Amino acid sequence: AVNKAEEPQNPPQLGHLAIIKPLVYLTLRLSLPDALIRLPSGSRLCTRRSSGAAAPGSGATIFALSSGQGRCGIAVIRTSGPSSGHALRILTAARDLPPARHASLRLLSDPRSGEPLDRALVLWFPGPRSFTGEDCVEFHVHGGPAVVSGVLQALGSVPGLRPAEAGEFTRRAFANGKLNLTEVEGLADLIHAETEAQRRQALRQLDGELGHLCRGWAETLTKALAHVEAYIDFGEDDNLEEGVLEQADIEVRALEVALGAHLRDARRGQRLRSGAHVVVTGPPNAGKSSLVNLLSRKPVSIVSPEPGTTRDVLETPVDLAGFPVLLSDTAGLREGVGPVEQEGVRRARESCNFLATVVASVGAQSPSDSSQRLLLVLNKSDLLSPEGPGPRPDLPPHLLLSCLTGEGLDGLLEALRKELAAVCGDPSTGSPLLTRARHQHHLQGCLDALSHYKPSKDLALAAEALRVARGHLTRLTGGGGTEEILDIIFRDFCVGK
Amino acid sequence: MFYLRGCGRWVAASFTKQQFPLVRLSSDSAAPRTPHFDVIVIGGGHAGTEAATAAARCGSRTLLLTHRVDTIGQMSCNPSFGGIGKGHLMREVDALDGLCSRICDQSGVHYKVLNRRKGPAVWGLRAQIDRKLYKQNMQKEILNTPLLTVQEGAVEDLILTEPEPEHTGKCRVSGVVLVDGSTVYAESVILTTGTFLRGMIVIGLEMHPAGRLGDQPSIGLAQTLEKLGFVVGRLKTGTPPRIAKDSINFSILNKQTPDNPSVPFSFTNETVWIKPEDQLPCYLTYTNPRVDEIVLNNLHLNSHVKETTRGPRYCPSIESKVLRFPNRLHQVWLEPEGMDSDLIYPQGLSMTLPTELQEKMITCIRGLEKAKVIQPGYGVQYDYLDPRQITPSLETHLVQRLFFAGQINGTTGYEEAAAQGVIAGINASLRVSRKPPFVVSRTEGYIGVLIDDLTTLGTSEPYRMFTSRVEFRLSLRPDNADIRLTLRGYKDAGCVSQQRYERACWMKSSLEEGISVLKSIEFSSSKWKNLIPEVSISTSRSLPVRALDVLKYEEVDMDSLAKAVPEPLKKYTKCRELAERLKIEATYESVLFHQLQEIKGVQQDEALQLPKDIDYLTIRDVSLSHEVREKLHFSRPQTIGAASRIPGVTPAAIINLLRFVKTTQQRQAAMNESPKTDQCLRNADRLQERQL
Repeated sequence: AVNKAEEPQNPPQLGHLAIIKPLVYLTLRLSLPDALIRLPSGSRLCTRRSSGAAAPGSGATIFALSSGQGRCGIAVIRTSGPSSGHALRILTAARDLPPARHASLRLLSDPRSGEPLDRALVLWFPGPRSFTGEDCVEFHVHGGPAVVSGVLQALGSVPGLRPAEAGEFTRRAFANGKLNLTEVEGLADLIHAETEAQRRQALRQLDGELGHLCRGWAETLTKALAHVEAYIDFGEDDNLEEGVLEQADIEVRALEVALGAHLRDARRGQRLRSGAHVVVTGPPNAGKSSLVNLLSRKPVSIVSPEPGTTRDVLETPVDLAGFPVLLSDTAGLREGVGPVEQEGVRRARESCNFLATVVASVGAQSPSDSSQRLLLVLNKSDLLSPEGPGPRPDLPPHLLLSCLTGEGLDGLLEALRKELAAVCGDPSTGSPLLTRARHQHHLQGCLDALSHYKPSKDLALAAEALRVARGHLTRLTGGGGTEEILDIIFRDFCVGK
Repeated sequence: MFYLRGCGRWVAASFTKQQFPLVRLSSDSAAPRTPHFDVIVIGGGHAGTEAATAAARCGSRTLLLTHRVDTIGQMSCNPSFGGIGKGHLMREVDALDGLCSRICDQSGVHYKVLNRRKGPAVWGLRAQIDRKLYKQNMQKEILNTPLLTVQEGAVEDLILTEPEPEHTGKCRVSGVVLVDGSTVYAESVILTTGTFLRGMIVIGLEMHPAGRLGDQPSIGLAQTLEKLGFVVGRLKTGTPPRIAKDSINFSILNKQTPDNPSVPFSFTNETVWIKPEDQLPCYLTYTNPRVDEIVLNNLHLNSHVKETTRGPRYCPSIESKVLRFPNRLHQVWLEPEGMDSDLIYPQGLSMTLPTELQEKMITCIRGLEKAKVIQPGYGVQYDYLDPRQITPSLETHLVQRLFFAGQINGTTGYEEAAAQGVIAGINASLRVSRKPPFVVSRTEGYIGVLIDDLTTLGTSEPYRMFTSRVEFRLSLRPDNADIRLTLRGYKDAGCVSQQRYERACWMKSSLEEGISVLKSIEFSSSKWKNLIPEVSISTSRSLPVRALDVLKYEEVDMDSLAKAVPEPLKKYTKCRELAERLKIEATYESVLFHQLQEIKGVQQDEALQLPKDIDYLTIRDVSLSHEVREKLHFSRPQTIGAASRIPGVTPAAIINLLRFVKTTQQRQAAMNESPKTDQCLRNADRLQERQL
């Protein structure tokens, strides 16, 4: 039931529309939300490496949730790198490492608070006899989101550890000669899928308030850095305006305050949104809200016969066919209505705008290329007269449904189950838990780096602090090249002789 | 007209073939009396002189071909060397035993280190140079370089032969044809033609062909290169007018005095040739709204400014400054051109207005009210070759054994040219002796950043070095260029003298020893406070504090530390340079540790070499998009690291390439010991040794 999609605002013309006029399109768009924004390792490499963020070298120790996501009894979290043993000792509060390659039961606790996290099986694989050839640790923890999230955050707080980049475990294994060629074959496809999925995830994630914040911060920081760099490269001979450094200083300090406040706040406030993302979209009065209410078995959205009742994106977490799903109801896509509804339409488009291009370019031929899928649902089938003609035969594959009578619901659920299984079983989609750990890791890293910014002393050192801080932010937002810095310098200052 | 000196090394301007027997060095006794060299360098500018001497230092019989011998070492634009970023390049050129730093130590008239207060990683060694002295000293050095021959002549064409099968490229260069029809053969050829390729000088609406004011451009050579299939672009630059010194009223201007003591450019010099008190000052003045007015009212008379050819954003003409930043006062530095020169160089007034308007504008400026323009400012437009067509060893992809260095690759600046010159000279020589190329990585030096940027990203405006381009800026400092490059230059390139090598080795081991001693001395913070009362050591805990950490404080240097702990620290203060360098190492110690981790990561990618003979457009074993294939085909990255820096080359493509390298390696290993596999492995091994 994966369809080549019609542009939502431009539904296909039905031949016998006169008869089945009430039959309306609903498209269900499925995608995973909040999955890793892990930027693929290469995207960092493609920028000039001014980031200053940790490189995938032998130095850093990486960690990731390596079991699939979704509901599972046991989740496996892996680390690789020289600090693995150290991390294991810190989390188990033990002086000695467990015997190599033996499963041992240990109490894991948060090194910062001492709070117990889980009783878990831990395995210690000293290099080179390990998956990556480096020192590795596996934590087999109970699979609940709270436990997994807790352990990931605890690992992130250990100095020298950072969340893994896309494909980084495999890359390390490859570099250390631990993979044969057939194993690597799949890796490229995987990374490709990850890149594509992450691009959309990043877009989606960065659409929200947090993304807005991050981009703003990155912009401020890039500008401050550019001004400090201008002061270093040109300050001596050229007449930069007075107070360039002072202004940068003020901006950096303000940023520090904002980041600090956000991080303190984020620990309580950020809602963990786990599971696949299903967006219901279509023209007004198609019955999208009715479908959402039907699927969630509670009145999430107000329904009325009036077109344009839903004016915002309403999200509700539901259990669909055994999968955790975040179901979004959106405003009907139409033009020329009041400003509030237009905003709703804009948000609706935005919530799937990152799909539009993919849908158009991917089509039904290569659905595996994309984690984004589409189900075409024709609602109000109860209005079809049993003996009359059915929907036009040249329609793309679709499902018939009546939200009023519930007819066709089983078929829809079955189709959804298949789609969700495909989406959730897709190894390319990362865990939202890691996304959060990653966000926090980089924001904290940025804040730490900013605390080393002391322009009154060695300015090269101060600039380095800003470079590292910016590196952390641009890992979340993308960008981060040297050219951006030079562009700002030559835009803002008349330098050179 | 030119005299011969010293054992036939120096061949005076040879206008006729009859003089060639002097340089007949061909080993093939049956060959006709056609001159044959290991390396020919075309051009005697800053890239050419470094390239020729570097090749000769590496043991190659080298010929330097130039339009005019008396312009060798000419500083065609500003009368200064060094600066921020550029000074870094000069230190690296010097670390490879290049010339420009040593010559500057003998020819400067005003030495000043920029960025003194901003940290040693970004200090910019700079000097005003006496043009005449520089040229004299450079020519003396060139003429006394063993194995180096100099000849006057304009090159019209390249001699091309069948390619060597074991290398890529559609043909191989084996010599040059001069304008007079004579030929010279060589194993490698380096082109350092600067702005001479179809050079055009622009003043006002007048344009005439010239490489530099008064010099003929190279047109035949430009056509040859284009015919060979090189992608050619066009760039522009400019130079200000020169003003008569005695027509300037300096008394009302701000004076800038040189440093005391002067800091030399070269690692081998402890002082410069001239005392600070004998050096010349610079003066500062500003433009004003009347200057803006003249520019804006005469744009129709200024074809250079209107042209679309890309000029630099950072070395703008006064016209573009006025257009882009209106209603501001722009700085004008009045710089001496030399000890006995009557000219002043107004840095910041590069312009292409018609000559009479130039004087009119200049006399609007404070202090220059009565100034006389001796030579007008002018613009130059010239061809450059897209540098993505060369490898990091500066050899072209298209033509084997043909190397490009300097402005021909789209750079600007003497120092950028010199840096490429050294690398091209070394590699042209290594190519002759069939040794692996000498490539400086981004992690090793500014030279590496410069060449990597050019060869992987290309450039659309004249490329200039900035410290902000360098991601490992705190590691790649002016003070440690010798540790980074001299040892490698000696071992891998053979371009470094024994004496310099030994000095660098001594310095390296002394630094390492000094740092470990400083780490080993630990006292409580209260004891440190007693020992060095002037420093306020802030410690939150009562942990012992290392001497290295105390040395980080601004108020502390090796002298005060050695006074507090004479044994064993006293001996590290005997050598001034060592003491200063230990202080710098201490300043950056904590950051350098993190940076080293990152450098290792980059070097891992750099160690993964891509086979040179891949045809990216047709290769079947790798799944790559068409776009990626074209990009790889054009830039021909040599390592996975370089490939990953090309915009548009996706992570997936990188993984596919990785796989391809591995497969190729395995296949070659199976085919019993291929030199390429060896090389990959050797490079990986060398990485370990190369860590700072």
